[in-house]
Amino acid sequence: MIRFDDVVLRYPRSARAAVSHITLDAPRGAITAIVGPNGSGKSTLVRALLGRLLPESGAISLDGTPIAQLTRLETARRVALVPQREEPAFPLVVRDFIALGRYAHGGVWSGETPADRAAIAQAAERAGVAEYLERRTVELSGGEWQRVRIARALAQGGDALVLDEPTAFLDVAHEMAVFELLDALAREKRAVLLVSHQLNLVARFASSIALLHAGTLAAFGSPDDVMRGDLLERVYEWPLVVSRDPAVGAPVLVPLRHRAPR
Amino acid sequence: MKPRVYVALLIALALAALAGLALGPVSLSPAAVWSALFGHGDPNAVSIVQALRLPRIALGIVIGAGLGMSGAALQSTLRNPLAEPYLLGVSGGAAVGAVAAVSLHYSSLAFLPIAAFAGALLAVTLVLLVARAAGARGDPRVLLMAGVVVGAFANAAVMVLLAGESADSVRGALWWMMGSLSDATWQGTRWIAIYVGIGGVLLFALGREIELLALGEDPAAALGVDVERATRRVYLAASLLAAVTVAGAGLIGFVGLVVPAIVRALGARSVRSAMLGAAIAGGALVVGADVVARTVRAPAELPLGAVTALIGVPFFLMRLRRMT
Amino acid sequence: MFFRQRAASSIALLATLVVGASAACSAPKTERRPQAVAFVRDDFGDTIRVGAPARRIVSLNPVTTEMLFALGAGSRLVGRSHWDLYPAAALAVPDIGNAMQPNAEAVLGVHPDLVVVYASPSNRAATVQLRKAGINTLAIRDDHIADIRRTIELLARALDDTAAGKILADSIEKSLAAVSARPRPAKVPTVYWHVWDTPILTIGHGSYLDELVNIVGAKNIFGDLPEPSPQVTLEEIVRRNPDFILVGPASAKKLRESPLWRSVPAVRDGRLLLVDTLLVGRPGVRLGEAARSLRALILKDTVR
Repeated sequence: MIRFDDVVLRYPRSARAAVSHITLDAPRGAITAIVGPNGSGKSTLVRALLGRLLPESGAISLDGTPIAQLTRLETARRVALVPQREEPAFPLVVRDFIALGRYAHGGVWSGETPADRAAIAQAAERAGVAEYLERRTVELSGGEWQRVRIARALAQGGDALVLDEPTAFLDVAHEMAVFELLDALAREKRAVLLVSHQLNLVARFASSIALLHAGTLAAFGSPDDVMRGDLLERVYEWPLVVSRDPAVGAPVLVPLRHRAPR
Repeated sequence: MKPRVYVALLIALALAALAGLALGPVSLSPAAVWSALFGHGDPNAVSIVQALRLPRIALGIVIGAGLGMSGAALQSTLRNPLAEPYLLGVSGGAAVGAVAAVSLHYSSLAFLPIAAFAGALLAVTLVLLVARAAGARGDPRVLLMAGVVVGAFANAAVMVLLAGESADSVRGALWWMMGSLSDATWQGTRWIAIYVGIGGVLLFALGREIELLALGEDPAAALGVDVERATRRVYLAASLLAAVTVAGAGLIGFVGLVVPAIVRALGARSVRSAMLGAAIAGGALVVGADVVARTVRAPAELPLGAVTALIGVPFFLMRLRRMT
Repeated sequence: MFFRQRAASSIALLATLVVGASAACSAPKTERRPQAVAFVRDDFGDTIRVGAPARRIVSLNPVTTEMLFALGAGSRLVGRSHWDLYPAAALAVPDIGNAMQPNAEAVLGVHPDLVVVYASPSNRAATVQLRKAGINTLAIRDDHIADIRRTIELLARALDDTAAGKILADSIEKSLAAVSARPRPAKVPTVYWHVWDTPILTIGHGSYLDELVNIVGAKNIFGDLPEPSPQVTLEEIVRRNPDFILVGPASAKKLRESPLWRSVPAVRDGRLLLVDTLLVGRPGVRLGEAARSLRALILKDTVR
């Protein structure tokens, strides 16, 4: 559904392209993950999806329509996106915050419609935040905050969900809860596109992984295709081995000590 | 915000207006004020109440509403609880525009706001450019620094414009730069109210966008806002409001800072309710400050901007401490 | 420094030259010396040597410029302030610029041997600069009718023509006395003198104009305020309800057109009296003429 087609992105007044010739596809019904070292261009792709950076060449399209031909509103109705960092300037009540997801569905002077209310309630239920709707955003823990943001994206609707590092700063339990939620959402025929550093979890949950290296696509394929020791060692420039998790059967990356311990 | 908070704000506004009617350099009994309101009694009292105090209160309400709404919108859009037209140098820019218009002999209150608006837009652009050049548009302190710098520049520009004028005109211009409602007339207030109305409607129309911009540019874009366009429109409308207040009553600082904060503390949940509350509370604050300005040193009058600064600066320092 | 020490040692010998100096000003005193060199104390309290008659004079005050012409020294003026427009011959004297905070360099440029400035704090720095440059600089504060004789006699000393000074001062006092001798009306008209409108400034007790209003037989509604040019509010003017408003031609138009000022009955009813501000505005040689015109304006009484 979300497709990057030979995309080249360059920041203004920058000599070098931030990413070049990226082709990848995030279909409905699956989690597609974008991984790669810091600075490899992951967030640049997200910025391009937000329309904040226009492709120098190539095209980003939603179901075949280039987003350059869509307004921000039209894009927002189809793709809900959870940016990496977000801090409201003034504290909000959780329910009000989730309701902001409905922006693309309302007019200038229209208040909250029954459809909005239903979408908000459903999203809160789905993301498991229904019990703290009246709390303020500043009172939430890191895990709660991420779930509230996902709830807002769900209230936004659309067939695609894009998340930029949704589990940063979360402990194991909260991290797993987020991945399970994303897995369930993907099974409901949504396209889930996920930027993450959590290679091992991504390998368990994603259908396909795009591995970025210095702005280029080092590999794009199934977890088994991408989670290869030689490939990851080259991309991350760190000694590592990939084995297979005996419990769940997914490939597991184990970084090694750079120098063998004495 | 709960309806009873609006009612409380309206009561505060009504009390300020009543004080404005009843108090002044000339002391009139409540009965005299009451009959003067309906044109009865001592003709001098009628003149004082109808021609001097009423339009002054009306202008104060309009100016306060403009400053309050402008401050509330700028704080959310710039994601900065210290943002307000005066500290951002926008009012200073408007003053340059207005002084330039006056020195070219275009001083009607129909035209003055437009000249002030042009100056305010120039100042906003300059502030954002300076903040961007400093490489930290997100840092609230850098933005304020840029505002202060542009404000100083505006001050200098006003002085240059006034260099050839007589000492009396310079004194008049300086007096006006300190803010005053003493020139309030019904006719002028009508023009100011029209412009404030236009700016207010524009800002309310942008209410949903402002709400999202307060989350940050990326989240706003993700939710469907055309960030550049929406931001530009907010600056336009907020600058219009600031410029109109400057054209109508000179530089009155800190109202746009204090009032939105009070309204938020009273439980304003959305930007629109914050703007509505700030409009009412702004009117109450300006009218109240004006009562102080014209009574404490009667028969002389304090500059209104000095009174609001005396209230606003301690408030600003408290906020700054909490931020850093 | 030298002059100061000499003056200090001879203070006891100083003779009072001036009558009726106001409380705000110290009485200047002079000392006659055999070689016709004298010392006068000016209104900054400094002692200045005068004696050899000044030949190249800069006067940065409309009042003193006028007086210098009246004393017959017009041809010795080499500079005046931008605001010194009377007599007509003064216009031929080079315009040196501001009267307040004058440009010392521009003054030095015309090579004066005497500079006369208004003794206000904002002129202190320029006075010091000029004296450092070796120019005799006389600072005179002439805010009151009583200062006129003193000012004229100081200038006359500097011109070494005390006889002319006495004649001029006597004639001014005589013409003023002709006005003040007129009968006071049964009902003294009250006036509001409009000086400036943003902020509203008028004249208070202790200003020259307040003195003049009293002399011509009228009463200033703000004569009770101690400051010479107090700031007042429109409300207070409405309440004090003057019979007449005295205003310069430029401001009169503004007052008539302003809806605010229409709340003042005297404005509404057209009781505005246009004042020739150039004639009346300052306590100078035309004081008698100023008093006559004001008397005619307010009381419709022509004094011959």
